[in-house]
Amino acid sequence: MQVLLIEDDAALAEALTQTLSNEGFAVNHLAEGKLAIAAVKTELPDLVILDLGLPDIDGTEVLKAIRKQSADLPVLVLTARASLEDKVIGLDLGADDYLAKPFAVDELLARLRVFERRASTMKHAGLTIGEVTLDNSSHQVVVAGNVVDLSRREFMVLKALMENVGRVQTRDSLESKLYSWGEEVASNTIEVHVHHLRKKLPEKFIQTLRGIGYIIKPV
Amino acid sequence: MKSIRTYLLLALLSIITLVTFVSLLHGYQSSITKAQQLFDIRLRNMAEIIANANQDTQPRVAGVFEHSPTVFFQIWSDNLTLLARSNNAPNQMLFDVDIAINYKDINFSGYRWRTFTLWDKSLNRWVITGERADIRYSLAENVVTASIIPIVLAIPVAGFIIWVAIGLGLKPLRELTLQLSNKQADDLSPIEMKDTPDELTQLVITTNALFKRLNAAFIREQQFPADAAHELRTPISALKVQIHNLQKSEHIDNTDLQPLAEGIERMGQVIEQILSLYRHSPDQAMLKQTEIDFCAIVQDVIANGYDQIALKHQQISMTGIDNCLMEGNQFALETLVQNLVTNASKYTPENGEILIDVKETATAVSLTVEDSGPGIPENERKRVFERFYRVNGDRHDSGTRGCGLGLAIVQHIVILHGAQITLDHSTQLNGLKIVINFPRHKEFNND
Repeated sequence: MQVLLIEDDAALAEALTQTLSNEGFAVNHLAEGKLAIAAVKTELPDLVILDLGLPDIDGTEVLKAIRKQSADLPVLVLTARASLEDKVIGLDLGADDYLAKPFAVDELLARLRVFERRASTMKHAGLTIGEVTLDNSSHQVVVAGNVVDLSRREFMVLKALMENVGRVQTRDSLESKLYSWGEEVASNTIEVHVHHLRKKLPEKFIQTLRGIGYIIKPV
Repeated sequence: MKSIRTYLLLALLSIITLVTFVSLLHGYQSSITKAQQLFDIRLRNMAEIIANANQDTQPRVAGVFEHSPTVFFQIWSDNLTLLARSNNAPNQMLFDVDIAINYKDINFSGYRWRTFTLWDKSLNRWVITGERADIRYSLAENVVTASIIPIVLAIPVAGFIIWVAIGLGLKPLRELTLQLSNKQADDLSPIEMKDTPDELTQLVITTNALFKRLNAAFIREQQFPADAAHELRTPISALKVQIHNLQKSEHIDNTDLQPLAEGIERMGQVIEQILSLYRHSPDQAMLKQTEIDFCAIVQDVIANGYDQIALKHQQISMTGIDNCLMEGNQFALETLVQNLVTNASKYTPENGEILIDVKETATAVSLTVEDSGPGIPENERKRVFERFYRVNGDRHDSGTRGCGLGLAIVQHIVILHGAQITLDHSTQLNGLKIVINFPRHKEFNND
């Protein structure tokens, strides 16, 4: 995967470049916002890691420019300004995810993998966790070699959970994902779908955190 | 001085009354004197008229002044015999022979009289006229009093006019006071006044300059944690990534790096906590309050911090309600819940349990966090809110490292929201039970 890393701190950028390379990403590092905008115009990467605090122009400007080029290029925003306003601004401007410095490297990698999985489902490749394989092109889910029949919404809930494997999805976040995919969401929709999904999937595949949300743990 | 208006009114009115009184007194006295002089001239004219009217050597004995019992006359010959007199005049001689023309005050028939003696050279006789002094006086007094009374009556009217005039004069001051008292605690914008009077101009200028400096200082103060955060977080991130890379490297023994990684982790946490404490310190914070869904905050915080909980195989669940809107600062409340959940997980042993409950009433939202950890002994419960205080010092039973700021931060945020926090023993899980009661709609405590 081609990653564009936009980060002005040389030490952090160098270390991150090494980490990401170790993890199999191809990293292109730029330290200035204007250069980054130019780079995105020339060739779209698969994924952008963007530090909001840049020396030349504000990171949000870079984000806007990227969104002009491509509406669905995944952008992970890094920022040292961990205030809610920044988070809201970042997400409003179309960042796909947000990570406050200082972050745990595993957390960063986990989020990048979500992007990766999402990209792979987008490219109609399968996504497999344990015995369960989700195929976005045929909208099919295969459990231990058997195709299971899922409604469209059940499929979407499962897709959201599988793409975010290892991360708790609150009901609110699942609802807003369904909503962003153009589905009507009633107040107890998610519970109902998860309840139906459970019956069709291996036991304990989807785990419930009572009152909080759902998680699929990595195998 | 309680009120400038009352003070000015009383002072001005006193001055006006005093000055008026003194000038009236003076005027009264000189008016009376002037009147007496006029009366004296009249008395003399009367004597001259009587002298001219009685040219006979033997004047008539006349009841001339029958209708004026307060005036009399006598005519004496040079051999001191009474030639004529008015009815009410006495028989005795009322003048000194050796003085030709004379005004004199005398007493007879129970009154005091003013007399005038005229020496009639042509007929060699004296003409004496007299008038009752009290009548003269009261006549004079009537005239003077008539001119004084309107002035005395005018004083209350003047008082009223002064009251209104002072009120109008003090209007800019009232407007200034109103503007200042209507200012919100966080409003440091300059005062704007139309037509500032000269006396207030400097005050307004100085106040505005002060506001400006204060505002700049506040912005600097608020900017500081953000700047410090930015300067510290990036290098710490770099350190964390670097140590991660080293740990992944095949050439280095991982066990040597573990303490270093933990040290960096801890440093990062302490810096975050110190910044958070500073950001939420009640004398520092200017938090924007909005309507937020507290339950969503709790769910998000738990979801984002679930790795730590999963690592210790702890059970976490949330009961109570699903939606609860209240007024608060989202970021501060996230920090609060994060601190409570992190603490609960940190001090609860592996496979332990954490229970979170959110309830609401019409006026309050209450958050309860219970865990199956060691709890906090009753005598320590107050001290845990102190900065850098840790139960049992650094030899904490759990062996967990912390900086002792978590609950201090929590308390700051609690104060900022006008909420109340209590620590208790959890009967359900046998560990610590923390209850926080938030008022649903409350002015933020920015004092």
